[in-house]
This record gives sequence, C-alpha cells and structure tokens, in this order.
Amino acid sequence: MHGAPPLFVSRSRAQDLHDGDLQPSSQRTNLSAVTRWQDKLFYALLALTTAVFVFLIAFIFLVCPVAQVQAGGLAQKIFYFHVPSAYAMYLCGGVCCIGSAMYLIKPTDARNGVAQAGAECAVLFGSMMLTSGPLWAKKAWGVYWTWDPQLTTLLLSVLVYVAIVVLRAFAGNGEAERKFASALGVLGTVNLPVIHYSVLKWGGNHPIVVTRSGGGGLRHAAMTQGLLTGFLAMTLLAGLLLWSRTRVVVSASRVARLEEEAIASGQIDY
Amino acid sequence: MTQSQPSTGTLAEPNNRSTEFVPVKDTGETTSAAGLLITAYVLMWVLLLGFVLLNWRRQARVEARISELEKALAAGGNPGGARN
Repeated sequence: MHGAPPLFVSRSRAQDLHDGDLQPSSQRTNLSAVTRWQDKLFYALLALTTAVFVFLIAFIFLVCPVAQVQAGGLAQKIFYFHVPSAYAMYLCGGVCCIGSAMYLIKPTDARNGVAQAGAECAVLFGSMMLTSGPLWAKKAWGVYWTWDPQLTTLLLSVLVYVAIVVLRAFAGNGEAERKFASALGVLGTVNLPVIHYSVLKWGGNHPIVVTRSGGGGLRHAAMTQGLLTGFLAMTLLAGLLLWSRTRVVVSASRVARLEEEAIASGQIDY
Repeated sequence: MTQSQPSTGTLAEPNNRSTEFVPVKDTGETTSAAGLLITAYVLMWVLLLGFVLLNWRRQARVEARISELEKALAAGGNPGGARN
C-alpha cells in the first residue's frame, strides 16, 4: 500500500486483475472507459451531495422558521434531518431486500455486495434517526423514549439490519452464510411497511405530519422546501454510500476469489 | 412532534393522531432546545463520518491485498513481501 487510498474504491484494480487473468499489473490492459466514466460520475455526485448538504444546513438555520415554540422551538429543526433519515433507511432497506432476493435467485458477488451495502447503510440511517428522534422527543414529549408502536417497530427493524451486519461480519463469507444473511435481508424488509402503517393504524405519540397528500402539518412554505431538500440530500447521500460500499464489498470478494485461484493454480505461494 | 392532547408516556388513539406540530402543554420540560438540537446534529454527523471512515479503512485493506497480490504475481509465484 503506498500512501492513503483514494476516497473512492478500487474496483478498477480488482477488475483489472480479474480481466487480466491474474497477470501482473504491468501486463494488464488499461482501465476501461466505463470504469473511468463511473469514477468521474461518483466524484460529480459527491460534489453535488456536498453542495446540497451545505445549502440544506444554511436553509434550515437561516430560512426555515422556528416551530413548536412551546416545545423549545429550535428542537423542531431536528425534523429536517430526522424524517429524511427515516426515508433513507427505507430506501437502503429496500435496496438490501432487492439485492438479497436477487442473490437468492442467482448468487453473484455484485448482488451480495448490494445486499450487504444496503443493510449497512440501513443501520447507519436508522441510527441517525434513533439518535435524533429521542433528543427531539425529550423536548416535545418530555421523555427520550416511549414504547410507541412506530418507535418500537422502527427499533425492531434497525435491530434486524444490525443482525445482518453482525452476521456478515462474524459468521464468515461462505455461500451458506451469504444466503442466510440474504434471507434475513428479505424478511427484515417486511417490517418496513409495518413501521409506516403503525402510525396510521395504531395509537401513539408520533404525529402524522407528512401524509400522501403532502406535508399538511408544515404551515410554512420554507418548512416544506427544507424537508424536500432534506429528502434530496439524503437520497444523494444514500446513493453515494450504497455505491461506495457495494464496490468495496465486491472488490474484496473478487480479491479473495483471485487469491484462492492463484494459490490453487500455483501462481502464488502464500 | 407532539399531540394536540399531549400526555407524556401515554398513547393516543389512532383517530386522535396529531397531523401537525402542536405545542406541548405544561410538561415542565426545561432541557435546552439549542443544546438538544446541537447534540442531535453532532451525533448524526459523527455517525456518518464514522461510517465513511470505516468504509475508507476497509477499502485501504482491499487496496493492500491487491498490491500484495500484484507483487506476488509479478514475482512469478514467489510472494516475497506479500502477505504471509
């Protein structure tokens, strides 16, 4: 390893090793145009995401009005990250489910990578939601946590994704472990709609501010704009993280496979 | 995120769900809203940066393994400085 690795992943190197049929780097073909194009797109997306987040933070604190004055006012501004984090968790959970289901149908490194990245990102966004929500609730409800149906189902869902991540980290990377984690990824996603509909069907403290007809509880245009910007920012962030994590996982899988092949063919002798 | 009929620790019926931000009444809550807001944002960014750092370290490990594999292949089967 020479110096720090680049921010983005080395799919090209692992891919070139593979494409080069285990030939040394000096004999490998140049990076494909597609890979270079993907790298450029990633960095463009990174720049866009950074710009949107800078705009979002400025918008939240400079433009969005203070709400819930009797509940502290300022604490309500957690809303603009809290709700988009929840949405991003759904998004990543959905990606995990699709990747897992596709892996169960036809196992490939790429599908496994998507499933793993989806679960890890779902844990990240779920954690962001679970840390920001109670802090807001402390001011709005007077307590950090209540066993509200939505909060409970959300916690359960995050724990399922944590279980998937832990399973993948400690149970090995064999075919059986991958399939078990994928099955859990599909089953865990079943709980996501329950979280959403628990607000509508069961009792609890959590409000229904954003509904199918829009943010009816947001009484100021800037609040709606702030929320929509939050959704955009979290979508871009989730896309970046999913992409980056998937490529690292896929690269690691390919390198491990290449090492095994090289050892088996006697090309290297570890 | 409160109820029109707020009650700390108790659950509202489905039909009585709040659909807007309604002020809490007389909860006696005195925690600093600014403090909670800053804590929430700091924690969220710490989580995100931790995730990115973790991913960056994993990527560094993959890069290292690729370099070792390349060296081993270049050495014609004798890994030399490659991972043992």
